[in-house]
Amino acid sequence: MDGLKAALVLFVASLFQLAVLTEYRPFRTSSIVLVALLSIALLRGSVFGAVAGFGTGLLLDTATLGTLGVTSLLLTVGGFWIGRYGETTARDRFHAPFVSVAVVTVLYSFGQLLLQFVLGQPAPADIVLHALPLGLLLNLILTVPVYALIRRLFPPQELGDRVREVRLLG
Amino acid sequence: MGGLVLLSLVLITVSFRSSALDGAQGTAASILRPFEVAADRISRPFRDAAGWAHGLADAKSENKKLRNQVDTLRQQLIQDESAVQENVQLKQALNYKGPASLANFNRVHTAVLTNPLSAIDESITIAAGTDDGIAAGNVVITPQGLVGTVDKAEPGVSRVTLLTDGQSAVTARDLTNPAAVGIVKRGGGDVLVFDRVPKAPYVGVGDTVITAGSVGRGALPSMFPRGIQIGTVASQSNNDVNTFKTIQLTPFVNFANLQSVIVLVPRAAGAGG
Repeated sequence: MDGLKAALVLFVASLFQLAVLTEYRPFRTSSIVLVALLSIALLRGSVFGAVAGFGTGLLLDTATLGTLGVTSLLLTVGGFWIGRYGETTARDRFHAPFVSVAVVTVLYSFGQLLLQFVLGQPAPADIVLHALPLGLLLNLILTVPVYALIRRLFPPQELGDRVREVRLLG
Repeated sequence: MGGLVLLSLVLITVSFRSSALDGAQGTAASILRPFEVAADRISRPFRDAAGWAHGLADAKSENKKLRNQVDTLRQQLIQDESAVQENVQLKQALNYKGPASLANFNRVHTAVLTNPLSAIDESITIAAGTDDGIAAGNVVITPQGLVGTVDKAEPGVSRVTLLTDGQSAVTARDLTNPAAVGIVKRGGGDVLVFDRVPKAPYVGVGDTVITAGSVGRGALPSMFPRGIQIGTVASQSNNDVNTFKTIQLTPFVNFANLQSVIVLVPRAAGAGG
């Protein structure tokens, strides 16, 4: 059920990003898809985040007729990493979504730049550096409503749902 | 996680090095198209309202500026129309064989499906493809001027690389001084650079720069027909160190927000000269 909900949320976020946000240049520096993915990964864990990231990346690359796999690779790593962060340390802390979005926004930008460079495509570092502060700010602003919405859709799991194995000691 | 990363790398390799996945990608993009159109239609009233409110604030000053512009252009139009008539008559009389012009192309009008996705992305997708006769390399324009070229064409959908992309370049010339020929390519932000223009020809600020096309049928003719507007000269300077002038252009096309474009499809083989 969570998988279906995540697929639907990320599909709608992708359409919103592609059809609406990209029409406004300042919003091209931000990504509601990234914010939604990281929020889901934070609440549902590393494997869920990685799979969701891969699927979302594939969807974006397909819709833009871009090189398949580029966005998938970045979002898979981002989803996995933030999922792991949520599992191990900070899922319930107030700052967790903001820290996750801030760190991954920066790493995503540089990762995208690096992949472009490796593939021999134009990799204008100056544009990325100029766009990064605004992108960071907009993503952090987007985090407030997006994380609140996603937290309602994906309520924190009960302890029983998270425990997969019980070992009796003694 | 490892498996997904590996799969991503395989996809990148296959997608980048071959066209094996192009068909599947094109089909999937066609399936996504109705959803994109629906999202666009749902959001359109809100965007129109925002645009209307924004336009209202500038309307008064813009109205005055446009009235002045209309007066100037009306006079220029009369002169241009008589020059065009004269030009047509002379070409017929001389049986003149010139470079390909816009008249040698069919025009496919189409909507823009997605604008650039990120700050470093300089491509858009359009709602027309091989079904409409579009092929990779076709030139894309708007009524304002040159937009770019088709990079990838699939049934029903194509990707266009904008002129502002680092890999795009077009041979161009100054409309006022045809001797000033160079290459227009990406500058920084919304600015284009008119490069490789020798110092000798005079290029003035405000001059219009158009595509140069190519004369004759050489081995590598320009794929851009002559006479497509690109932009106006924003600044120009000479430097003792540089061999060429430093010229910046302000493009006529607003690359930030493209709603619809026109793809120029050659009428017959070889028309793209």
